[in-house]
Amino acid sequence: MQVKLYALSTCPYCKMTRKFLDESGADYDLTEVDLLEGQEREDAIAEVRRISGGASFPVVVMDEEVIVGFNKKRMKELLGL
Amino acid sequence: MSESAAPKRRMFGSGTTIEDLKVYMAPFVDRLGYKFNTETEFVDEVLESELEILEATGDIFCPCRVRSGDPKEDAKIVCPCIPFFRDQFAGISKCWCGLFILRDVEDGADLLGVIEEVHGAVEAPVFLAEDVPPGQIRRVKIGKRDVAVANVDGEFFALSNVCRHAFGPLGEGFMDGPVVMCPWHGWRYDVRDGTTDHPNADVKTYETVVRDGEVFVIVEMK
Repeated sequence: MQVKLYALSTCPYCKMTRKFLDESGADYDLTEVDLLEGQEREDAIAEVRRISGGASFPVVVMDEEVIVGFNKKRMKELLGL
Repeated sequence: MSESAAPKRRMFGSGTTIEDLKVYMAPFVDRLGYKFNTETEFVDEVLESELEILEATGDIFCPCRVRSGDPKEDAKIVCPCIPFFRDQFAGISKCWCGLFILRDVEDGADLLGVIEEVHGAVEAPVFLAEDVPPGQIRRVKIGKRDVAVANVDGEFFALSNVCRHAFGPLGEGFMDGPVVMCPWHGWRYDVRDGTTDHPNADVKTYETVVRDGEVFVIVEMK
């Protein structure tokens, strides 16, 4: 499964999500949006808005599904844990 | 509430501490119907993040939202951001981060984690009843809704803030019994049902409820 995490380095739920993904052994692609600059940052924000409809974090993409917030239950289901 | 210990000037900078933020925010969020989360370690963690953001950006932006670069939009995510998201937060009983929870929530630990989309009717706290005495009206934003809430002899009524004549702010109007006069051209609306004598110009009304000295407006989330 392709897992992507859009996070802010400052956000507590993002930290919880990272911890959960790390502990579950999932392979994921992390983008810390607030640490990006210039066009890269613009592009990342635009992408987050496009897939989640907002600019609130964390945003987890598991295959086709987009999860906004730290939703352990749903992530577990999708990861088959 | 007893006299607040909060400093009068909001001067956050490199010397600001978590305690300074708490002292400054507590009386404000109290007026909005919220309190700090009962999970004190979590509260400190969020405030610690805000201090890092303060150091980097000059203000205490929400640690869970991203700045757009548009100052007007970014002003809505300066902590506490409750006034700009009253409807959503009332639906999840907390602010986005969970730093603040609704006053009547006993255990904030239950609210950490999942953030769900809110649908259906939501009771959004708007102000303390004592802040708007009989004969007064006040404008409040509830999400994107622009609402005026009036106190008529101790009973609260909510209607659209926007006059149908020239979009004047009814929440800044003059009360005369159950009638509000628009401050711009004097159009009159009955705050109890939103009706006016002008044809096809009635405004929308909302149900309200008062609980423990707090006024809530009931809004529908799609």
